[in-house]
Amino acid sequence: MTNNSENKKGIGGMIDPRRYGIERIAYLLMRLSGLGLLVYFIAHIYETSKILQGQFGWNEMIASTQTTHGHIILAIIIGMCVFHTVNGIRVMLGHGGVGVGTPTRPDYPYSPASQNIKHKIGIYSAIILAAIAMMYGLAVMFGELK
Amino acid sequence: MRESIIMKIHYGTALASIGLVAVHILMRLTQDYAESLEYANVIRNYYFLPYAGMLEIILILLSIHGFIGLRVILLELKQGRIYEKVISYSCFIAMIGLITYGTRTIIMVNMG
Repeated sequence: MTNNSENKKGIGGMIDPRRYGIERIAYLLMRLSGLGLLVYFIAHIYETSKILQGQFGWNEMIASTQTTHGHIILAIIIGMCVFHTVNGIRVMLGHGGVGVGTPTRPDYPYSPASQNIKHKIGIYSAIILAAIAMMYGLAVMFGELK
Repeated sequence: MRESIIMKIHYGTALASIGLVAVHILMRLTQDYAESLEYANVIRNYYFLPYAGMLEIILILLSIHGFIGLRVILLELKQGRIYEKVISYSCFIAMIGLITYGTRTIIMVNMG
């Protein structure tokens, strides 16, 4: 039996976005945004439980989040949420066989049918929509929009 | 449970939560953002039974989706029979804990 333990790069291999194009960056962003959103979700459940301490406890918690830092963190959360949603829909469609091309004979230069322009557009759309949502969120939180 | 079923649950909870989370966020925009977070407004949200029910469904859906996602990431990093069991059970216990804690808040506020 061959020893293939050297192929296990662990976290270093997972977070290295180089060499494989935008799809690999989307893979990394999907995991980072997923972890970030899970941490936020747990924190959100905890912070909303402060309402059980009455008006004083709630106002104290709200005051600690309604700061410039708090708004920026929430804007990043909004960006992660939008990217994770749009890219997640793209991934689900891909797993369902939508937009991955049809099987063909492998001819040189062996361009993979699944890594086509449709999915690249999906990834770039997710990034652009996340940026727009972040800007909108910042405008709302800083009172520019009602 | 088969991995294919776990992934179907993962995708199903994701799709179901998209619409509900959109409603949850839009509730903050029905009035001024800061005003919507005032104590009286938030309490009123919890007293409104359909909204409280929606919060409970979001809590369950996102807890399941989040911890299945965490499990997927951790199993991509390392494999092994015992490791996979530890990760699976840990994620399940954490998910139940989070749902219980969130449900406690919703019920206690809703019951006054």
